[in-house]
Amino acid sequence: MRIDKLSIKTVTIAIFLMVGIVAIILSLFAGAYFRQAAMDAQVGSLSRVIEVASQEILRDVSKQTFDLGMKLGHNKQLIQTLQETDGEAAHERLTTLLDDPFINGFVGFAKINLVKLRVYSPDLALVAESSAGITGLENYLSEYLVARVTQRSKTERLQAIDALWLSAKGPMYSTLVPVGGLRAVGYLEVIVDPVFNLPDIGNITKTPISVFSMAGAHININEQVDTDSLLPVEFILLTFAGEPAFRIVGYEDVSRLSKTMEHTQMVTTGGFLLLTLITLLFALWLFSRFLFVPLGQMVEGMKQIAQGKLNLTVNKKGLHEFSTLAKSFESMANQVKIRTNDLERLLDLDNSAILCFGHDGEAVYFNKGATALFGYQDDEISDLDLGDLFSEDIVQLMKDAVRLNAAVQGNALHIQLGCIRKDGHAFQSDAVINPLDVMGGFGYTIVLNPVSDETDDGLTNYLVNSIEQNEQRMHAVEQSLNSILEIAKNNPGMISGVGDLERPALPGLKTDDDKRLLREQVVQVMQSALACWEHDLNKTKLDLAEESKIWPVYIDKSTPTTRTLDKYLHTDSCPKNPRNQRVIDTAEFVLRQMNRRTTLGRRQLQQALDDFRGLISGLKTAKK
Amino acid sequence: MKFFVLFFSVIFAGILIAGEKPYAPEKMPGTTIVSAEEVIEMILANPELVVIDSRKKTEYIKGHIEGAMNILNTELVLEDLEFIVPDRTTALLFYCNGVRCLRSSDSITRAARWGYTNLFWFRGGWKEWTEKRLPVVTD
Repeated sequence: MRIDKLSIKTVTIAIFLMVGIVAIILSLFAGAYFRQAAMDAQVGSLSRVIEVASQEILRDVSKQTFDLGMKLGHNKQLIQTLQETDGEAAHERLTTLLDDPFINGFVGFAKINLVKLRVYSPDLALVAESSAGITGLENYLSEYLVARVTQRSKTERLQAIDALWLSAKGPMYSTLVPVGGLRAVGYLEVIVDPVFNLPDIGNITKTPISVFSMAGAHININEQVDTDSLLPVEFILLTFAGEPAFRIVGYEDVSRLSKTMEHTQMVTTGGFLLLTLITLLFALWLFSRFLFVPLGQMVEGMKQIAQGKLNLTVNKKGLHEFSTLAKSFESMANQVKIRTNDLERLLDLDNSAILCFGHDGEAVYFNKGATALFGYQDDEISDLDLGDLFSEDIVQLMKDAVRLNAAVQGNALHIQLGCIRKDGHAFQSDAVINPLDVMGGFGYTIVLNPVSDETDDGLTNYLVNSIEQNEQRMHAVEQSLNSILEIAKNNPGMISGVGDLERPALPGLKTDDDKRLLREQVVQVMQSALACWEHDLNKTKLDLAEESKIWPVYIDKSTPTTRTLDKYLHTDSCPKNPRNQRVIDTAEFVLRQMNRRTTLGRRQLQQALDDFRGLISGLKTAKK
Repeated sequence: MKFFVLFFSVIFAGILIAGEKPYAPEKMPGTTIVSAEEVIEMILANPELVVIDSRKKTEYIKGHIEGAMNILNTELVLEDLEFIVPDRTTALLFYCNGVRCLRSSDSITRAARWGYTNLFWFRGGWKEWTEKRLPVVTD
């Protein structure tokens, strides 16, 4: 799909829509990620809590086993028997001593699940073990404990050592303490099953807990947990050697968290979207206020000016760039208007009747010769067409001429036409009909020279010469107009006159007559403007100076005066080099304030302004 | 107004100071400070060493260092000490609950005043001993 033309409004709204859609998608994505991140954080946090709780449980186990180990380690019978060397009998006595806690109990019996008691020689060889408790354990100390003990110095070996280790019967927790106190004669290993204590993790974390073996067996099977609405959080409890021992799963009730997150997500997303919407609407309003509306008005004004309404002004409100563009366009239009006035005045100087018609045959322009010849007033011209003025069908004549390619020199057609005056009087006139572009359409320019009834050769020759001269003038005027329009169309900034108008005075005024004429015209414009301002708008001269901000207001003895403006109202006091642009600005300001009201004063002011512009233009042309 | 502000500031500071337990001195003149491992080595190497537990009896019963006798610092009198350790050059080792316990340092001060010259101080005390999971005797 190829897009050739798009309005600024369409493009802007499309961009805003895209921004809005992207904002919605982003907010939804952000919400989902936020939710997932919160869940992950919750899982990580609970996993850490389970880890700390499991360490706490093992610490409790260690305390119990240490106390039991110390109690037994200082048992004099055990110490003595361990030192005896009478083999089998001593072994039996040791076994009996080690079975005693299983049979008679001990302090903290209910807090741990004692599964085995073993005694070792100082070089860690197994001497004896309790016959009570589980069977099937390896008959040696776990490798981890052996490594820890052998790494230690003699004094350090008196310290108790704990270890969670993997036995043939699953993970076991052992505490190794010296037998005989500071004068150790061997070691006692207290072995307990940690599965008995691990479910207590749930009491610390305040969540349901399931403990699984690494093979996947559910160990604390007695606790049934309804996990449907709970978030499972897993923690792997490692042995002291770093091997996985248990899989502990805590179940977190995340319904409240989910509800809170949903609420937070809704509020943040909604807030974000609301802010985005408000921002976009505000931006759209700004665009509309300072771009779309002024641009539309400017384009409309430009269109009307392009259609020939050169008296209109282009909207200059809105963005600075558009204001500059509008001013440039208006300056260009003023130049065109001035040139057009020049041309019209030039055409009025001609004795021939020059008429211009549009593509529908409607009258567009009559010079003074034409209005005099046909007897119409200026305001009646716009209601006329070819049929009202000529007895022949001009359009058909031109078509025939083009088809036959006869009597045509260049594009012009030389012919004698029957003409009809306003009062109905018919007369014959030599005519040169020239096809022409009129306001972008096809039209005709007709130059007429009435034929006298007298038939002497001198007059005939005069008429022939006159027709040729008219034709030459017409070509000159056309070329001039085309060149001006071309310049205006392609290069508005290059048109001279705008800068000239802003100059304080015209340097081309060389003669005193020129200067006097200019001053008179200045005074004429200013008087017309002031008259219009005072009579039609019922305002004072002081108001004009203050509201237009063109003329300074002075305070003389507490009375506001307009000394500068006053100078421009009389020829005697008018400066020798008057500020022409100020005069033009004043006249235009008054015309704008009239707001399309048509009064005699306005017409006079407009006429004076046009004459003044024409004078300036004429003077500049003369200068060139 | 200033008086009240000053008054309450002093009261508040006093409460804070009272709530904070003081530390035992870093060192004591004429006394050798030893660690837990050095205590073990001294006990094993010197059968004449007298270890005195300056804590309360209830604390002593819950657990103490092997061979230690319990004499609370406030109950330590010259007659009893002379009876237990007549020779004032005999090695005497004192301990209590730890660095925040002032009982053993008080006992050492008394013993030094009474002329005992071979004094050792296990400043880390019971806290250090149990943290290192060394053998304890419970009664």
